[in-house]
Amino acid sequence: MFLALREIGRAKARFGLLTAAIALLVFLILTQQALQTGLITSFVGAIRQQSAPVLVYSVDGERTLQGSVITPGLEAGVKQVPSVAATADIGQGTFTASINGRSQSDAALIGYTDPKLGAPSTLSAGRLPTAPGEAVGSAGDFSIGDHVRVLGPRSATELTVVGLAPDAQIQVTPTLFVAWPDYVAAVRTANPDATTVLPNVLGVEPAAGVTPSAAAEQINAALPQADALTRSQAAADTPGVSAVQDSFNVIFLLFALVVPLVTGLFFLIITLQKSRSLTLLRAIGAPGGVLVRALLIQVLCILGGGIIIGTLLFAPLSQIKVGALSLRFDVTGVLTWAGLLLVLGVVSAFAAIQRVLRIDPVEATTGEGGR
Amino acid sequence: MKLALRELQRRPGRFVVATVILTLIAILLMFLGGLLDGLVAGSTGALRAQRADYIVYSSTSRNSLVRSRITPEIRGQVESVTGADATGGLGSVQLGARVPGHGPRDLVPVVLFGYELAPRGLPASPPGPGQAYADRVLESQGVHVGTVMELGPARSKITVVGFVSDTEYLGQATLWGSVSTWRSVQDDNRPGERAAAGVVQALVVRGGPPRSPTAAGIDAATGGATTTLTISQAINALPGVSQQQTVFDEIIGVTVVIAIVVVALFFALITIERTALYGVLKALGASSGTLFWGVLLQALIVTLIASAIGIVASLVFAAVIPPGSIPFVATPTRLLSSVGYLLLAAVIGCAFSLRRVLKIDPAAAIGGGQ
Repeated sequence: MFLALREIGRAKARFGLLTAAIALLVFLILTQQALQTGLITSFVGAIRQQSAPVLVYSVDGERTLQGSVITPGLEAGVKQVPSVAATADIGQGTFTASINGRSQSDAALIGYTDPKLGAPSTLSAGRLPTAPGEAVGSAGDFSIGDHVRVLGPRSATELTVVGLAPDAQIQVTPTLFVAWPDYVAAVRTANPDATTVLPNVLGVEPAAGVTPSAAAEQINAALPQADALTRSQAAADTPGVSAVQDSFNVIFLLFALVVPLVTGLFFLIITLQKSRSLTLLRAIGAPGGVLVRALLIQVLCILGGGIIIGTLLFAPLSQIKVGALSLRFDVTGVLTWAGLLLVLGVVSAFAAIQRVLRIDPVEATTGEGGR
Repeated sequence: MKLALRELQRRPGRFVVATVILTLIAILLMFLGGLLDGLVAGSTGALRAQRADYIVYSSTSRNSLVRSRITPEIRGQVESVTGADATGGLGSVQLGARVPGHGPRDLVPVVLFGYELAPRGLPASPPGPGQAYADRVLESQGVHVGTVMELGPARSKITVVGFVSDTEYLGQATLWGSVSTWRSVQDDNRPGERAAAGVVQALVVRGGPPRSPTAAGIDAATGGATTTLTISQAINALPGVSQQQTVFDEIIGVTVVIAIVVVALFFALITIERTALYGVLKALGASSGTLFWGVLLQALIVTLIASAIGIVASLVFAAVIPPGSIPFVATPTRLLSSVGYLLLAAVIGCAFSLRRVLKIDPAAAIGGGQ
């Protein structure tokens, strides 16, 4: 212990460089983890947050809320499926808006005919709309009392934010949940040529005793044009979500390989450099176990230092917003990565440990210890 | 120099771990770059293909094609500046397409564009009603000339009459037909997005003699009802494109910094290990410069080997990923720029060893330090 820490103290540049490299890698991993989580939450958060346990898309919509269109025939068909207790229309569109008179920005509107099947399931502040022109906004993008004007070529639709829902964005856009008449008004404001405003998806309440997944299966079996999904399936299967996850996973795998390789290489070289001193220590009676312990202490100190510095660098970054994307300090994620990198780092020191254990004290008398 | 090369030849094992780490970093760098290029190419092809100077959107659209509406009156005002022959309407609608041979739930996401001024690779006159040119990526979905695709819940029939390359839009394959084909398909499938007669989503404007309109001139002529962007501005205004670029560029930058640290770490350790040897070489007359160039040469060779493996891995990856899965392209520019970054990292990383090489005292070799 004493020797291990003394050596770190005396070779600050050498160990500092490795700690800096690990800190940078940890910072990058945590930042990308936060970006991945933030991106997916901002992409499909509203789907997770809305209250309908089952969502029915049209097959043509390919599981995108805005891309799906429910024809009157399909809606009538869903209502007749025995496992369906109730249905409600849900519409979604992206509009140009002005918030509190500021310059133009994007806003996604989600309109619902029944608050039990489409409104946000939890609010962090305020209440659900009860009167025309009221809306629930995604927390972090809106404040209660905000005045939103949905802009069109000839007129505007006015909305007031009366509630806030956490993690409720869709398509990485500030999102407002409104009653169906307000949604239709916004669509007609944006496009005065619009004729019928059809729902994009149907929110479904399963019949008593029927699970959401069973209800979805029965709807799909009965109607080939329907694509019914449970709430969690709808979020996970939104196009782009798995591509984002796959791309980030490849990056994580590469980073997770670089950390132990850099650590392993460093300690192997250090051990080779010190082999004369280590041979001498063995010759004067230091057991192999003590030397291995000293090596492991150094590995843990360097990895621990790198992880702590990397996490401290990441902490302020996790509080900022990247465009409409909110990052977050996820304690579980940080601890998981810290544990994983510590284990991988210790495992990577295996080659150096083997080298230490192979040292023959007799070599101190022959002068071969340095080779 | 010879000594450095000879060491690499005779003791390659000493450099294996550094080569492996740098190879991983090279692959990471090229993968990140290829992913960025793939994402950008798949999002922007339709706009890059426009043989025009400007795209004119309605001012409340926030430069979004689907939100933009240009009425015949506004078009007339634009044409008073640009000339009617240099202005073309553009419309788009995103729909699921049923392709013969695919299952009833296996749809292909497409964007049908209606055009008047032909983009690159398309004939000057748009195809007839119900016909379209398809992006080549649709060939991997079994689409060929003569294929009849059914679009959207209304099953609007579109016959493919030819192919065009590199025109993907927002990650989706595209079909290119006339404006009237676009309007009828959109009206049938998305009544909420209906466009009245004469209404298009945007105007494509070609400049040049005898008229050379400016973006400001066009917007002034419409009294501020339009926002006119150059093609590159319109590409950057696409949702996510500039954000993707910024995030990926930052990640690539930090990865290069890590490469610098790895090279610095490895060659600093090698230099420490060789201190005694360098002392002897200096005592025999070798200059610090010669010794440092030797270290640098080794770093550059290790980096070039890692880069070569990274390039091969990227090309193999680009070849084996199925179309439509991970948006990855391996372009020569990206691969060569990654090699350039890594070589720069090797040079900067090695510079950390320079101080140690300069500090070596040749007297130590003959016991002067004792």
